[in-house]
Amino acid sequence: MQQKWEVTRPERYVEGKYFASLKAKVIDPGICSHCGTCSVCPVKGIRVEDKPIYFPNWEEECIDCAACVRVCPRYDYVPLNGMGEYIEILAAKSKRFKGQDGAMATEYLVSAIEKGLIDEAIFVGRDEDWRTTVHRVRDADQVNTLLTGTKYSFAAVLPEMIQSVREGNNVGVVGTPCMVSGIRKMQREIRLFAKRVKLVIGLFCTENFYWHQLSAFLAERGIDLRKGIKTDIKKGKFIVEYADGEKAEIPVKEFDPIIPSGCKVCQDFAAVESDVSVGSVGSKAGFSTLIIRQEVAKDLLDFMKEQGTVEVIEEVKMKIVEKLIHHKMEIHPYPPKK
Amino acid sequence: MKKIKAEKLGLTESVKRHLEAIGVVVGEVIVPSTITIHYPRERRKLPDNFRGLILFDSKACISCFRCAHICPANAIVMEHRIAYFPSIDYAKCIFCHFCVDSCPTGALRPTKIHDFVYKDMDEMVVHSEEMVETPEIVREDSFTVEYVFDGDVQLVKKKEKEELVPEVKPPERPPKVAAALNPENCISCRLCVAACPTFAISAKEEKTKIILEINVDRCTACSICNKICPTSTLGLVDR
Ligand SMILES: Cc1cc2nc3c(=O)[nH]c(=O)nc-3n(C[C@H](O)[C@H](O)[C@H](O)COP(=O)(O)OP(=O)(O)OC[C@H]3O[C@@H](n4cnc5c(N)ncnc54)[C@H](O)[C@@H]3O)c2cc1C
Repeated sequence: MQQKWEVTRPERYVEGKYFASLKAKVIDPGICSHCGTCSVCPVKGIRVEDKPIYFPNWEEECIDCAACVRVCPRYDYVPLNGMGEYIEILAAKSKRFKGQDGAMATEYLVSAIEKGLIDEAIFVGRDEDWRTTVHRVRDADQVNTLLTGTKYSFAAVLPEMIQSVREGNNVGVVGTPCMVSGIRKMQREIRLFAKRVKLVIGLFCTENFYWHQLSAFLAERGIDLRKGIKTDIKKGKFIVEYADGEKAEIPVKEFDPIIPSGCKVCQDFAAVESDVSVGSVGSKAGFSTLIIRQEVAKDLLDFMKEQGTVEVIEEVKMKIVEKLIHHKMEIHPYPPKK
Repeated sequence: MKKIKAEKLGLTESVKRHLEAIGVVVGEVIVPSTITIHYPRERRKLPDNFRGLILFDSKACISCFRCAHICPANAIVMEHRIAYFPSIDYAKCIFCHFCVDSCPTGALRPTKIHDFVYKDMDEMVVHSEEMVETPEIVREDSFTVEYVFDGDVQLVKKKEKEELVPEVKPPERPPKVAAALNPENCISCRLCVAACPTFAISAKEEKTKIILEINVDRCTACSICNKICPTSTLGLVDR
């Protein structure tokens, strides 16, 4: 009968409204990954900003629907890790876009639009200070050099993606492994997102940062992000490249104090739940490493080949990818060591 | 200057003409040929859709704002009561009754009341709660008058008192009803429950379950639930 239906919700972790359970089980213990999936909140109370996830005045405004705990990938956290299942692994570069590595993340999203798979792609851009911004792209012409490339700060991709879906779009999205897991959990819980989120690109990831902490940390070391045109992590060094070609480098080890606690319990380097994972390590400079996991991603690569927009080379140094996968599992034990 | 002189009539002719004049006057006294209606002792018979004072039924109103949007004189403002209900500023109202015609549930109803006054401009803004009861009217009429156009204008008077608030059939509802088209999308936020203007949707909590139900009899197919649902769970189906 279409006039009667029911929804089963998880057990409450603590008394009170469901947001109290999310807070007590995920946010307060510091295992929140800042993926932002909880912004599915129907009253838009949950904020995804440059600080831990919060819900101002939730005691009053939370309507106790349980959507946040249903979609949170850390509410019943079992860390994912390893290489994950895949169809093939290869290296590729886009012939038309410039990106962090081979601009394959961008190429995938734009090709998905051109193939008609999605209406909109969600991109992470940045302002002059390297604060992340989020953009909806419907056309290849909208892509610019601020939208491609890696920003080592949390971005509010999921709130934008959710809004786009609510507006009736089919969307494609690129994000860190935690975002990928958030999207997958949401797709299992709420069918709407299974139908409308057509392409999920995962990025290789070890850690991400709060922008205010990262910029202050770099400023203390005399690095002015404003002048930077590219940021990267290579061979254990955080690198800021300036317009004049100069580079500033800081060993990644020194970043330990500002690594968010939610990243420290994450073991998923290769975004094992994505349709396709894209990373830097494993392939030569100017190429992106691709772990193609789902047919949708394979079909898209075939489409790109037909269109002549990609150059594909087979060889990927699997050893180094595996090394980083294991490295992340080792440095991020769960439950965390005291 | 030319002076006009009265015609010289003979005595017989003069008496005849005077008698004729008296006859007309007596005739007018007995059966007058004026078309004036002797208001307030008589009232003109008016059609049921006469555009007079407007009445309001808050139970039928679904706060759809159509009346406020369509009003060409901007006389209607939606005011928050238990939901948003219309107020009418009779200083602006042009009695077009677009509001009545556009109301999908018959919450706004026409009356034949056209004889009303207000003390001041403030009083002319009539709030929803003041539109529910038919205003008290001092009636002195005992006749209705109807103009019948049959070659010449004829007045048809009847000894009767007309009902000023006609029974109007509410407009037919669309033969639709709200339904959970995609129950697997539901996040049990119950915004639909809160938004439904006719309280047609209910939610029951049973342990960790939420059971939602749409009361088909109450649903007016206004589609507000569909619009507010953040996950495209709801829609309309044929009744
Ligand atoms: C926080 C972070 C850590 C990473 N760590 C590693 C690593 O340890 N090893 C490794 O090999 N690769 C890592 N990567 C991935 C790598 O930096 C490149 O993003 C990836 O190789 C894709 O390059 P591309 O040229 O194909 O992408 P491009 O075509 O340049 O597109 C990059 C895409 O990433 C998106 N993006 C940028 N910043 C963010 C962000 N903060 N959050 C979400 N999306 C974003 C942009 O929207 C853009 O669509 C990391 C990426 C991020 C965001």
